[in-house]
Amino acid sequence: MKITIAHLYPDMLNLYGDSGNILTLKYRLNARGIEADVISYNIDDDIDFSSADIILIGGGGEREQLTVCNRLREMKDKLIAYAEDGGVILAVCGGFEVLGSSYTTPDGTVEGVGLLDITTRYVKDKIIGNAVIESELFGTVVGFENHSGIVDIGAHSPLGKVISGNGADGKGSEGVIYKNVIATYLHGPVLPKNPRLADYIISKAMERRYGKTELTPLDDTIEMAAHDYAVGRFR
Amino acid sequence: MRKLRIILSIAACKILIKLGKLMGKKGSYTPGVIAMKIYPDILRYLSDQVKGDIVFVCGTNGKTTTNNMLCTLLESSGKKVVCNKVGANMLAGVTVAFIEKAGIFGKLNADCASIECDEASLRHAVKHVRADKVVVTNLFRDQLDRYGEIESTIGLLNEALEKCPDTLLILNGDDPMSSTLGRGRKAKYFGINENCNEDVNETSEGRFCTVCGAPFEYNYYHYSQLGDWHCTGCDFARPHIDYAADNIDLDGKLAFDINGSVRLDLNYRGFYNIYNVLAAYSAYDAMGMKTDDINKIFGAYKPQIGRMESFTVGGKQVILNLAKNPAGFNQAIATVLADKRSKDVLVAINDAPSDGMDISWIWDVDFEKLADAETLSVFASGVRKHDTALRLKYAGFEDVKTIDITADTLRNIAKGDGEVCYLLVNYTVLFGTQEILKTISDKG
Repeated sequence: MKITIAHLYPDMLNLYGDSGNILTLKYRLNARGIEADVISYNIDDDIDFSSADIILIGGGGEREQLTVCNRLREMKDKLIAYAEDGGVILAVCGGFEVLGSSYTTPDGTVEGVGLLDITTRYVKDKIIGNAVIESELFGTVVGFENHSGIVDIGAHSPLGKVISGNGADGKGSEGVIYKNVIATYLHGPVLPKNPRLADYIISKAMERRYGKTELTPLDDTIEMAAHDYAVGRFR
Repeated sequence: MRKLRIILSIAACKILIKLGKLMGKKGSYTPGVIAMKIYPDILRYLSDQVKGDIVFVCGTNGKTTTNNMLCTLLESSGKKVVCNKVGANMLAGVTVAFIEKAGIFGKLNADCASIECDEASLRHAVKHVRADKVVVTNLFRDQLDRYGEIESTIGLLNEALEKCPDTLLILNGDDPMSSTLGRGRKAKYFGINENCNEDVNETSEGRFCTVCGAPFEYNYYHYSQLGDWHCTGCDFARPHIDYAADNIDLDGKLAFDINGSVRLDLNYRGFYNIYNVLAAYSAYDAMGMKTDDINKIFGAYKPQIGRMESFTVGGKQVILNLAKNPAGFNQAIATVLADKRSKDVLVAINDAPSDGMDISWIWDVDFEKLADAETLSVFASGVRKHDTALRLKYAGFEDVKTIDITADTLRNIAKGDGEVCYLLVNYTVLFGTQEILKTISDKG
């Protein structure tokens, strides 16, 4: 069995150790005897949506985010079709913002991909700090937020409710979960210390590709020690 | 009245430093702040008395080393130098450096100054102190929660440099980010003119032109975004190098030529030290200074604590090295790789404000490479030891031991099977660890 991870634009979006998310998925697939094929797509490449099982979109500088957003808008139909079909996407920070219908910057409003029915408003004071959220699906999720956006998530379900930190909407919720799309401001990176979230992503990809959701449990002692430390200290 | 405030300001500062030392504190923040409260112009008043050049040293990595090398060069040439040697590099620390050199009545007898300055603080410092020369060692991604991305650091430095149009910049020409600062300004550049790391092909930051946004192309890389670069979209390219290193010999030491005329032969570790030496030498030369004893002076230079600092514990060599960000850690790992002995390695990460509270950068460090370095065992430590252990696990180390740094645990690590121990630690781990190593190291 093989799971293909499409890493969107590491040439543009490479802040905050988000490569750790890929390492984590790869590790947790390989540990279960599942092959992991990571394809890094640069900004000019055509994305093969049919081969992709998990798409990762990270965060980048403002200029890079604009370039990525413009590029993704060119292929919005394919990206939306992939998500509506149950394709898995993990979008972090800038990736979260560009999936919405629009986001604002100090220079004006940028039209987004429109996969999610959300809008992001620029705020002058950056929101920076450790965060702990509580999600029905994954229990506590820990991470580090560093963003200048407040997201109106409209009718979408949040990823979780904020226990400590600010969160995306400024009103006590963080992120969005829509079908198999998970969008969040949480760095950390978010997957290594939140193995339940990582395994959820893997199981959804396995379900769509192979109709199988059972994953062999792994020894998560070290993962949970880091998770529990963050919960204990930052909640 | 003004005179009285000057005296009070200096006296209060000096007394607070003494009191701090009695209480075992190294900090010079509070004394500097108090001095400026009593007499806000104290820094200008004192720095105006410096007879010759005042040099600021900025940059993400290597500024303490570069600044102290420059100070050593100047002092060895008989100059009286104002210098913040321990690296207190914000406005308060800069103030303290001048006050420590001044007499109680405000008389400062100095020929020149070499001042390490934080990239975000330079714009404040130049309001008080004339900046004859500004050295920028490099600009890497560093503590995103504090500084933001490299672009915002460039913005902060530009803000400072706008205030001092007559300043001569001394910049790392191999670094497109630092070179950006020299556009339209008086600048000299240092760089390495030969390809010594054939297998390096990493550039995770600063990949796009700061002028036009197009990607940079490289003839070769040294590390991170340092190398022989040019923009694919405009004419921005590696500038003419005024101070060029070549004929580089890295075999167990550090030897190279500067401009084909001066041969340096140093007992240092770490490729990155070529840049520190070059930067210090460039500033020294740009100040119009000359010496025939360059090797003797650099040979006698004592590195600051935790710069590949060597101890012997129970007969075993233990090397302590500070690394604060991905570029610094990757260079530390490259230095560990160059040491062919078998080794035990400890990685310790704290997340105090001065370390950066966001530790996600540890995932941008190539810890995977340590696996090829004859590494027998790895230890994770620091406040974020569990995160560090997890990072090392995903780098391929199945059996990472999580420990706290104490005299006992360090003694135990030194008893390991490796021929040498490396302790790679970030900022606030450094001082306590060094204290312990001093107490447990073999005497004699």
